[in-house]
Amino acid sequence: MVAVLVSYPENCTGCRFCEMICSLYHEGAVNTKKARLRVQKPDIMNDIPLVCTQCITCGDRCCIDSCPEDAISVVDGVVTIDGGLCTACGNCKKACPYGVIWIDKTAHKCDLCGGDPMCVKFCPSGALRFEEADKDSYASLLTAWRDD
Amino acid sequence: MHAVGGKILYVDLTTGEMRTEETTPDLVKEYLGGDGLAVKLFTDNMDPSVQPLDASNVLVFAPGLFTGLPVPTGGKCLFLSRSPLTGTIAESVMGGNIGAEFKMAGYDALVITGRSEFPCVLRVWDDVIDIKGGSPYWGMVTRDAQEAIRRDLRVSSVACIGPAGEKLVRYATIDCEDRQCGRAGLGTVMGSKNLKAIAVRGTKDLTIADPEELIRLDLELQNTMENSGAFMDDTKYGTGEFLNWVNEERGVFPTRNWQESVFEDRKEIDPYYWAPRYTLRSKGCFGCTKACGKLFVVQEGKYSGTKLDGIEYETLYSLGGECSNPDIEALARANEVCDLLGIDTISAGVCIGFTMELVERGILSTDDLGMECRFGNPDAVVEMSEMIGRREGFGKLLGEGVMRAASEIGNDVERYAMHVKGMEPPAYDVRGIKGMGLGFMTSPRGACHLRSGVYALNLVGKFWRWDNVDRFAAEGKGEQVKAMEDFMTVYDSLGVCKFSRGFFLIEGYIPFIRAILDEEMSEEEILQVGERVNNLKQLFNYSVGVRREDFYLPRRLTEEPIKDGVAKGAIITEKEMHRMLDDYLDARGWDNDGKPGESKLRELRLA
Repeated sequence: MVAVLVSYPENCTGCRFCEMICSLYHEGAVNTKKARLRVQKPDIMNDIPLVCTQCITCGDRCCIDSCPEDAISVVDGVVTIDGGLCTACGNCKKACPYGVIWIDKTAHKCDLCGGDPMCVKFCPSGALRFEEADKDSYASLLTAWRDD
Repeated sequence: MHAVGGKILYVDLTTGEMRTEETTPDLVKEYLGGDGLAVKLFTDNMDPSVQPLDASNVLVFAPGLFTGLPVPTGGKCLFLSRSPLTGTIAESVMGGNIGAEFKMAGYDALVITGRSEFPCVLRVWDDVIDIKGGSPYWGMVTRDAQEAIRRDLRVSSVACIGPAGEKLVRYATIDCEDRQCGRAGLGTVMGSKNLKAIAVRGTKDLTIADPEELIRLDLELQNTMENSGAFMDDTKYGTGEFLNWVNEERGVFPTRNWQESVFEDRKEIDPYYWAPRYTLRSKGCFGCTKACGKLFVVQEGKYSGTKLDGIEYETLYSLGGECSNPDIEALARANEVCDLLGIDTISAGVCIGFTMELVERGILSTDDLGMECRFGNPDAVVEMSEMIGRREGFGKLLGEGVMRAASEIGNDVERYAMHVKGMEPPAYDVRGIKGMGLGFMTSPRGACHLRSGVYALNLVGKFWRWDNVDRFAAEGKGEQVKAMEDFMTVYDSLGVCKFSRGFFLIEGYIPFIRAILDEEMSEEEILQVGERVNNLKQLFNYSVGVRREDFYLPRRLTEEPIKDGVAKGAIITEKEMHRMLDDYLDARGWDNDGKPGESKLRELRLA
């Protein structure tokens, strides 16, 4: 098993630093809508970091199987989008149960920052961790996602 | 230009007209953002003859210069207007998500004038701005309104008022995700404009001159923070962490409407008691990695179901010690009531404490009030908060603030009314912190600890430029308060939390400004922004008739010494009060009545 991002909502403070630093690191500018993870705040009781599970939870491999161009594949344990093949059709964004893919000229998703995720580095409360995980680690997140 | 949204948005709610102006580099250099920019835009657009609740009053919303950027603790935004409570220029700062969202929509400030004919919601969705009907949300408490508006208008963040703002309680708040612009009644100004909420979705990039350098600085600062004592204490116990230190070791925790300065029954309201029992986890403002908010939940008993982001230090005083309320569950519920109905917990608590003292003295009877509103009755604090927020019964009068309530009640009760310029004071008994007493006097928005923040350096004895500060001495406080006011204004302009000042002094900003803006600013230049902004505020206050006597402290503080505890006997004599004020006016370069002098204004490029 390889290490992936795991979210612990019970620790999340809702600060959203992860979203800012993710977009800054990958896009060179800050834009939480371009972050490759997001913090959902449905009500005062909950702050839920939604992260890319590298399709560990999906037997269906949602984004991979949704791609009509076969542009998405697993490379060294990381679900990777081939920008050369991607036509920005948006199917993967729709398929992702966590809503953490975003699209402009191509689709963009979490690449684990090459093995040292910035979001984990800055998470002050242990709500995001980089560790080995199984399907169960994500069970509680699946109901949390909504489009905003 | 880096770091900024790029535009200033003007909206007239009477005519529906909207326009934008460019945020110029000069404006950023002279005013940074946040408080500075808001004061500049307010004073440029406001006619001093306009009253706070007139349609023409100007309400400005501005995120700080760093807001929306990954700078640890740098996510604050603020509202600013002419206050219905004090009649002066007043701002209030909060940590809601809306500041960052607004910048990502492409704006650095919002200038609202006019009054909508019907309840409305102003929606900002990048370049598309519209005024939506607000009637379905009118009457809703803050949490419900935000949820409904977020869902209906498909926005990411909403700042709204509660029923109290709609009914023009003079100290109504503006709420965004359980964070509030609490003080000075800016929610009342929104209510007077029939503006229930501002709803924002922003999808644009905020650029940074040198992202790699910023990430490096962030990691460095994050490391410094996480290894500081303040980080440990605040993330575990919240802002009330030092409550018992202020209470017992310094003897300056105002109790029973400032009749006493040590709260004997403080056991339950001390976070060391309640945090382990009631806190589910910590909560942070937008962009803050030092989460001092607490998710406080009461799971059983009379106040079961209470849940809030808090309880902050100031509220532990105002709805706790001030009312001699030793019950943490009732305190939590009262706090939640204030948040949901949208009233300032400090002002509400002081108004309730004042009422309790009048009952104790036999000036008011519990029959008049329709409840057992007495010191030590926790339920009365909850009930009265509700009545103030809904403007019912005696709460209607208390919703006018303690100054107006006292003058309405007559009978010389003004001597028990705690306020400066009409605003109720926060949790520092300034008789034992004389510098803070001067800070209460000089703050443009009335009795306030945050404009200068001199309580900290006086209670500890050292900070920044000072060492061996004697909190009981009146000497040297003028220069101190002046310098600290300029210092703190920089925080509000950058959008950085003032709780960061323990590990993040002005010189700490210089590399951040360099990395973010590619600008070289010296410590002196940065501090001059603070001074410029404070002079602009005073120019406005002077123009609406604020004079020397408006700076004076409430009579109790100059007539009655502290009764007990380690600060026993401390008082600010009238002579000391005048001396400190004179020192301050000298340090500012203002005349005896507080009018900024020509040479000072020229030095600051304001004349």
